[in-house]
Amino acid sequence: MDIFTVSLWGITGAALIVSLVKDKQKTFNSMKMAKGMMKNMVGQIVGILLLIGLILTFIPPEVIKDVLGASNPFISTIVSALAGSITLIPAFVAFPLVGSLVDVGASIVPAVAFLTTLTMVGLVTFPLERQEFGLKFAAARNIFSFVFAVVIALAMGVII
Amino acid sequence: MNIIETIKKNKLLTAVSLAYVFLFIAMPDKAYLSVKNSMYYIIEMLQIMPVVFILTSIIEAWVPKEVIVNGFGEKAGIKGGVFSLLLGSFSAGPIYAAFPICKILLKKGASIANVVIILSAWAVIKVPMLANEAKFLGIQFMGIRWVFTVIAIIIMAYLMTIFVKKEDIPVQKGQNLDKVTGIDIKVQYCIGCGLCEKLLPQYFEVVGKKAKWKGSILNDAQIDELKPIIDACPVKAIDFK
Repeated sequence: MDIFTVSLWGITGAALIVSLVKDKQKTFNSMKMAKGMMKNMVGQIVGILLLIGLILTFIPPEVIKDVLGASNPFISTIVSALAGSITLIPAFVAFPLVGSLVDVGASIVPAVAFLTTLTMVGLVTFPLERQEFGLKFAAARNIFSFVFAVVIALAMGVII
Repeated sequence: MNIIETIKKNKLLTAVSLAYVFLFIAMPDKAYLSVKNSMYYIIEMLQIMPVVFILTSIIEAWVPKEVIVNGFGEKAGIKGGVFSLLLGSFSAGPIYAAFPICKILLKKGASIANVVIILSAWAVIKVPMLANEAKFLGIQFMGIRWVFTVIAIIIMAYLMTIFVKKEDIPVQKGQNLDKVTGIDIKVQYCIGCGLCEKLLPQYFEVVGKKAKWKGSILNDAQIDELKPIIDACPVKAIDFK
């Protein structure tokens, strides 16, 4: 385990002990809830992790570098942002997938665009948002989020 | 749960598993290589999952959401914005889980800008997710994306107040506790966490990842008994009807 993971475990462990000492019942109730949420995701998590293996085996790194690499950043970023907008998978599951693509040479610009629209823009949940907040709010928020996702991605490409 | 239902709920896993079965028969060496390639990410995931799980639990237990929500009022300016950012950052569940809470806040007088901040922060910069992001993409990547995202959220909140006014948002009518006839569960928001079933199994059960009201006519004592669960539901999907 790297130092980052070890320190995360340390902090989390300490917080858990404090939480248990302060209120055992409350802590357990929340854990039950979190467990329920996690259980619903396990199928997706295992599916994505196994999919990563298939992608890395069958799609040569050169192809990934070619399509998602630094050579044509603009188109790949827009396409990734669109893909993120229509996909509804938890970000939790998306990080290892995106991480694996970056590891074999994908540029981070489309990666950031995908991660940001994945969580902020929701075409699938749009009807729900319109129903609760009205068409104007939902449309404006989703469009702004999309534009800003691309801007954030391009800005990160300049810095990293 | 029957097999067809299980498959339906795990489409991705089913498809990937079938691909593996086929591979192991047709090209065992490629199948072996795929498993090997996945292994690294599986191990990384196993290292970080307990942390995300415990962090989510602790945040859910100790962040006083009710206090934050009740303290909102007409609070404008920087303080309201910081509150919104914190509320969104310390939360669990997907973005649509934030819709009902934001509706409550709007009713209490929160501004459009703050609601946009909550929704966006809820979506992109949740604390347990940041831990996961740093694990797979590096601390530097996570940190820079966080800074840019916070800036973008604040600009966006400002822009939204220009385009959308409060009158554009549909309002629901308030409800009268004397006329309660039962419990309404908004299925589209329920994340199937099972908290209601665990706390009050006599009223709720989770069927196919969604909470279900077992149905009975309520008396006053039962209404009092049910009030805490309406507050406790992490996505505010439960209400009287």
